[in-house]
Amino acid sequence: MEWIVFGALALWLLVSVLGAILVKSPVHSILFFLSSVLAMAGLFLSLGAELLAGLQLIIYAVAIVVFYVLVITTIPWEKVKRFEGVYKRELAFGLPVLIVVFLLMGYMVLKGDLAEPVGVVEDNVREVGKTLFTSYLFPFEVASVILLVAMIGAILLGRKEE
Amino acid sequence: MSIEKAYILLSILVFLIGLLGVIIRKNLITMLVSTEIMLNGVNLTLVTVDKYLGKVDGQVFSLFILTVAAAEVAVGLGLIVSIFRLKGYEGSSEIVHLRD
Repeated sequence: MEWIVFGALALWLLVSVLGAILVKSPVHSILFFLSSVLAMAGLFLSLGAELLAGLQLIIYAVAIVVFYVLVITTIPWEKVKRFEGVYKRELAFGLPVLIVVFLLMGYMVLKGDLAEPVGVVEDNVREVGKTLFTSYLFPFEVASVILLVAMIGAILLGRKEE
Repeated sequence: MSIEKAYILLSILVFLIGLLGVIIRKNLITMLVSTEIMLNGVNLTLVTVDKYLGKVDGQVFSLFILTVAAAEVAVGLGLIVSIFRLKGYEGSSEIVHLRD
């Protein structure tokens, strides 16, 4: 049963990811990316990470995808239209290299051993919250500073020059 | 093969497909989408190893990756909009000068 769920979600994820990097139009590419985000949330659910699946849906599927679509509407369409598609020469050189890299990494994963399990998580959301606000409290505060700096940077970059 | 290794192989494949997308796309916006795909692949590895080990630290790190992804999209799309406003823009392989 686990394998059936994994196979279906993995097939969906791979098809949508390949579509996102190979289709011509940028809008179609973003829609394929949205589909891959949904498949990834399903994979998180099947791994028992409910909080992260919900956050994935809220942050990626709602905030980031809508942001991309809004930005595409502000760019003149003929400028976007001129650079559709992929570079053929880079595809011919890059694909064999990445296949070899995948084979090497896959060999390492299949031959290697994973570490010993240390315990079982009973309540996922409660455990994540407890860890986030005890061991990782300082990185959590730093993340809010990162978001603030990114907001100021986006405002500065998006301003029109006088 | 245990199912954890299958998950890790899937996430390596997703990461490499995203890297291929960064290499081959002509449009800057789709290059940014490909970097999001790479971040998603890393998230999947962290959550998988977490499930196997029975800890939650990896999920906390995935949370931070989501934060950084949101910040990256805000700044990256701002940069892309200002690049598209330039006059002589000719596609992603033509942007080789920092400032002229």
